[in-house]
Amino acid sequence: MENTQQETRKPCLTLALETSCDETSAAVVADGRIVLSNIISSQIPVHQKYGGVVPEIASRKHIENVLPVIDQALKAAGVVLTDISAIGVTYGPGLVGALLVGVSVAKALSFAAGIPLVGVNHLEGHVFANFLAHPKLEPPFMALVVSGGHTSLVHVKGYNEFALLGQTRDDAAGEAFDKVARVMKLPYPGGPYIDALAAKGNPEAIAFPRALSGKNSFEFSFSGLKSAVLNYLNSAAQKQEEINTADVAASFQAAVIDVLVSKSLQAAAVSGVGQIVLAGGVAANSGLKAKLGYECQQAGISFYYPDPILCTDNAAMIACRAYYQHQVGDYADLHLNAKPSLKLGAREAVT
Amino acid sequence: MPILAIDTATLVSSVALATVDNLLAEITLQTKKTHSELLMPHIVKLLDMAQVAKSDLKGVAVSIGPGSFTGLRIGLSTAKTLAYALQVPVVGVPTLAAMAYGCPVPGVILAPMLDAQKGNVYQALFEWHQGELKEIQPAIVTEVTAALESLSQQERPVIVMGESAVMYREKIEQIGKNLILAAPHVVIQRASSVAGLGYKLIKQGVRHDVMGLEPLYIRRSEAEVLWECRHGVAK
Repeated sequence: MENTQQETRKPCLTLALETSCDETSAAVVADGRIVLSNIISSQIPVHQKYGGVVPEIASRKHIENVLPVIDQALKAAGVVLTDISAIGVTYGPGLVGALLVGVSVAKALSFAAGIPLVGVNHLEGHVFANFLAHPKLEPPFMALVVSGGHTSLVHVKGYNEFALLGQTRDDAAGEAFDKVARVMKLPYPGGPYIDALAAKGNPEAIAFPRALSGKNSFEFSFSGLKSAVLNYLNSAAQKQEEINTADVAASFQAAVIDVLVSKSLQAAAVSGVGQIVLAGGVAANSGLKAKLGYECQQAGISFYYPDPILCTDNAAMIACRAYYQHQVGDYADLHLNAKPSLKLGAREAVT
Repeated sequence: MPILAIDTATLVSSVALATVDNLLAEITLQTKKTHSELLMPHIVKLLDMAQVAKSDLKGVAVSIGPGSFTGLRIGLSTAKTLAYALQVPVVGVPTLAAMAYGCPVPGVILAPMLDAQKGNVYQALFEWHQGELKEIQPAIVTEVTAALESLSQQERPVIVMGESAVMYREKIEQIGKNLILAAPHVVIQRASSVAGLGYKLIKQGVRHDVMGLEPLYIRRSEAEVLWECRHGVAK
């Protein structure tokens, strides 16, 4: 009897929007775990010639794309608005003008359709991308969040309970990748190009610094490393020395990865958790996945990371996070505002 | 059956409910609070006080600019989404024209001016002729002092409106002559005027695509302009 009831039970659908940076995305997720649609309209080609994301242009693109993307997400999932149980939206951190488009749209949608609104922290969304990629994954675990704007270690104790162990004091890991790539005249965004170049080079060719590598320090710093790489390149150029770009990329990437991996393992040990998950745009880096995977295996820790499409900014991860907030009635009201510097795990007063 | 009208082009937040020949309700605030927080709650209050159900709305009119880029996007995001979800039409109303529409005075030039930063304004010129609003000069970005000096050379009286008229009140008084600063209830944007001009546009057959409607920025982003300067692209 109970089985039949479960089979006929309608799934709980969350619709979510993500407009925190340069991707306009909408997605529909069933029961927090099954992606029915995940439409992403990327602006990367638009920003490429500026060598980085231009906030005003990003905001303009969001308002052009947002309704078509929502409409596609609903159609691709084969559902209508009235089927949706909760609407999730990224309200921070991110570019304020970009966030405001998503937040304004989500509030209007929530009111017009009479569906509860959930304000989602973008970084928590990145962590939750792993629940979509790994249906059996459950907290507790240690999450390493690495992206263009963030580098954080988070102890995920439960679906709605997080403890931030440490984050970067200056540049995010992804930011260091982008800046080094720019000086090496690689296209924007530079991460994937450095990753590919690094695979062909010697990671021990140049000894770049590993900052804050003290025991049980969970803060990061990448600006010194970035400067060291830039100095190396500049002084070689001045002396008109030929450099091996693959070796530079490999040595730089190894310095970043060493720090990320050793701190993640220490954090897991200190917190007594047996699982590590990788999240954020830099989670697509093959060198990082390989090294962290290897070290986890050595230490008997389970290691998870999302598919590349779930590593980029996407609304499916926001819909997943929104589902778990919906489960505990963590709703926002129509005063919800964008919070560009929202911290991970922070529950900003939204009511 | 009323339409909902929204104007968030500047710090003024204004929402209204109007039928074709009757203004039901309007909330206009100049409290310098953010549109992002307050616009939706204002709309909910407006509908509630006027006892209009959201399902009774038969359209949405929105002020599309020029004005503050972020303000315009909040207004348009809200208006477009309400129209999309409630399955009603949306009409984009030029902000400066809506201001002139709210001041139906024949024999004068109406000069709404909104802040375009660094001493510049978005400005258009209008006049009323035989009961119809006519545009004399489309919206441009112009240096404010030069614009005011030029208006003072006109033979007709000029009513200067908008946040920049308030901001440059002293300059307007100093020039004097034919320049008149609009009264406080006319000098700011009013959603009731957006509704009025919105109905007019609908009657003229204007229809906007809810998916594609965008703000009327007039200006490109600073990054685009700089990039083209550096790369010597003439556009």
